[in-house]
Amino acid sequence: MTAFIVRRLFWTLPVILIVIFFTFVLMRQIEGNPFRTSERNVPESIQQNLEEKFGLNDPWYVQYAKYVKGVFTLDLGPSLVLRGRDVNDIVREHFPESLELGGLAMLFALVVGIPLGMLSALRANSFLDYTAMFFSNVGFAIPSFLVATLLIYFFALQWGDVFGFPTSGWTTWQSKVLPSLALGLGPMAYFARLTRGTMLETLQQDYIRTAKAKGLRWRRIVAVHALRNSLIPVVTAAGPILGFLITGSFIIEQIFAIPGIGRYYVTAVTGRDYSVVMGLTVLLSIIVILANLVVDILYGILDPRTREART
Amino acid sequence: MRQKRRKQFTLLGLATILALLVTACAGGGDDGQQTAADGIITINWSSEPPSLDPGLATDTTSSNVLNNIMDPLVKLEGENLAPTPALAESWDVLDGGKTVVFHLRSDGRWTNGDPVTAEDFEYSWKRTLSPELAADYAYQFSSIVGADDYNGCEKNCDAMRDKVGVEAVDDRTLRVTLANPTPWFLQQMAHHSFLAVHQPTVERFGEKWTEAANIVTNGPFQLDAWEHNSRIDLVKWDEWRNAADVSLERVNGRMISEGTTAVQAFEAGEVDETGAIGGLPPEEMPRLKELPEYEQTPSLATYYYGVNVENVPDVNQRRAMALAIDRQSIIDNIAQADQLPASGFTPSGMPGFDTINPVSEFLPAAGDIVRAKELMEQVESPVTDITLVINDAPGHREIAVAVQDMWSELGIDAKIEQQEWAQFLEALGPPPTKTTDVYRNGWVGDFVDAYNFLELWTCDSGNNNSNYCNEEYDALLQQAISVPDDAERYETYAQMEELLFGPEGDMPILPIYFYTNVSLQRESIKETFNLNLLDQFDLTKVVEGDDSGDEDA
Repeated sequence: MTAFIVRRLFWTLPVILIVIFFTFVLMRQIEGNPFRTSERNVPESIQQNLEEKFGLNDPWYVQYAKYVKGVFTLDLGPSLVLRGRDVNDIVREHFPESLELGGLAMLFALVVGIPLGMLSALRANSFLDYTAMFFSNVGFAIPSFLVATLLIYFFALQWGDVFGFPTSGWTTWQSKVLPSLALGLGPMAYFARLTRGTMLETLQQDYIRTAKAKGLRWRRIVAVHALRNSLIPVVTAAGPILGFLITGSFIIEQIFAIPGIGRYYVTAVTGRDYSVVMGLTVLLSIIVILANLVVDILYGILDPRTREART
Repeated sequence: MRQKRRKQFTLLGLATILALLVTACAGGGDDGQQTAADGIITINWSSEPPSLDPGLATDTTSSNVLNNIMDPLVKLEGENLAPTPALAESWDVLDGGKTVVFHLRSDGRWTNGDPVTAEDFEYSWKRTLSPELAADYAYQFSSIVGADDYNGCEKNCDAMRDKVGVEAVDDRTLRVTLANPTPWFLQQMAHHSFLAVHQPTVERFGEKWTEAANIVTNGPFQLDAWEHNSRIDLVKWDEWRNAADVSLERVNGRMISEGTTAVQAFEAGEVDETGAIGGLPPEEMPRLKELPEYEQTPSLATYYYGVNVENVPDVNQRRAMALAIDRQSIIDNIAQADQLPASGFTPSGMPGFDTINPVSEFLPAAGDIVRAKELMEQVESPVTDITLVINDAPGHREIAVAVQDMWSELGIDAKIEQQEWAQFLEALGPPPTKTTDVYRNGWVGDFVDAYNFLELWTCDSGNNNSNYCNEEYDALLQQAISVPDDAERYETYAQMEELLFGPEGDMPILPIYFYTNVSLQRESIKETFNLNLLDQFDLTKVVEGDDSGDEDA
């Protein structure tokens, strides 16, 4: 197992290099000037001062080499637009918010989604099943920004006195509820449907019938034998979804005015803040790589066959 | 048996969901809600300021924060935004306007106790000009002798630094030498670029000197907290020279950039003001305008369509295009914030406006489609396929579609090309890209003189995106700035406007409207929370009154 993890970690290096290369090339292919933020043009001499200061007048390969060196020495460089702030500062100050938001959304999705799916499977084709699946389908179909707007409208504004949720921000625990629900609803619905499907399939398996015939308690059959095998596809999906929740929450961060990195990411792309875009892309790709690694490790725990095949 | 077990599972599941809901619903929010007149208000800064360094700041948020935490030499007061003494108690204009000597008050203090001196200003201005700082707004200092040379220097920079025309004669006397008489120089002093910074703090903390823990300021409020992309809180500084006149104790500030969320935060009582920076969402305007908290003030800014005159060379076609636009209808049906229809470029509110930009009979607010068609018929080779470039901010597309429809009556087939901001700026140039025939744009004043607007359409202006060049126009501008007499200068500006937008005008741009600033302000502060023409608010003047009954909102 250790050898497997080390090997996987080693392989992240070339992946990160490729990510840096493509981001570097793509960012410079699109038009735009990081120093021009308004309709006011930047005078030529001032533009030169700025390019000199940020090393943008070096040949591209020098800039690229400097950047790669920076990444591997954990120095992601200064922001070109937010003067006096380094990408390291932005990651340090704002990544925890995104991580927390993604984590809470994931928690909500798993804690509600899996039991809901189980319930539906155990009571397949009942009223409860239809209701749960109806809401899951709706939850899956509505985009998060609409969910967010509706949640704010009803729970912070219309019934704000009852629920006490603020419309925006990321300070008190109340302020964290609506964004986490808005972000987690889609994955929750997805997990519920996935769990229901695989659970139904598992319950048809011979070994379940055998377990029943042997007189095992139903609760034990479901909790130990059925659930464990039903969770494998959920775990497969959970890795990328966790990565997506942590990295792809910019719409929710924007709507709820949460100071996470997603907000910076979007502003940086539209403002052509090259170093911030690069730094955050590298960070986010590392998260996705790590999330996938965790999934592979969990596989091994859930299904010993895959573990043996790898070591 | 099995049924029973299933029930247990069902109950377990339901209990989990219920537990989650109950936890989620418990408790009451108290996030920044202030209703009593306790001298504490919460406003919406809208977005993270890229910098709070006066030398580096370029946006409205930074400008408003800085104007309230720093003390300028000169403040702009009254409807005409006349320069009035602030940290400078008086000034002398000498040498026919080429030298200005400021006399500083003796009681200016930095928050660490140091006195504010003329040396602070000399240091700060030269710092902003230094090529190492690479300040975007260094051009603000261009009228000062030697400023551009130092800013653009490659060698002998120290010598050039010494030649810049700003000198602290003694602790309280600052002498500024200008290359030419600059009639608006005093107004310009109120711009945040000309604020002083505290040298020991800047040198000690480097680029991090503006963080709340490090910053040393000299204005009515102190920077209490700056949580990036989240909040900027100001607290009254009791030792400021006029602290006795400041009513507010604390101004908390959120950064909610999403317009709809900001309005909802206002309606939920979380913020007492939103929109002054960042505006209100256009799609909600009809509803918001009816609220008692709605406030609207004129801005020194013009919304216009620029024409790439190389692509649309016939002046009659440009005149026809201007006349075909029903600007009043655009204001009433799309923009909806009672903007004023523009028949020229210098915006309403500018000193001398009535002379410079009088009511135009040629360009009526509702347009003149009959005359437009007549003019279009005189065009020998009309350009009927027009690419209209706009950026993707809310509201622009709707106006473009309306204009597209209006121009179709002239036989013009306009194609709307919507671009994101950075890409849009590249299309503007100058010069504009070859495929750009017409572009949407706005110009917001930096200082209060029509020069700030009319200079745009000179041949060499760095912001002339229309390829327009008329030497007669340029000569008039030179003539205007050589006369110190205001009335005479306004007359010359009026001739320039006529040259662009009169019946015989060249029409390189098609004016649409003069902006208004729209915001929501809690009724308790609405009387005293005032924005000037430059969209700046002075928190020292805000006094909380009675909140006339929207506490349930």
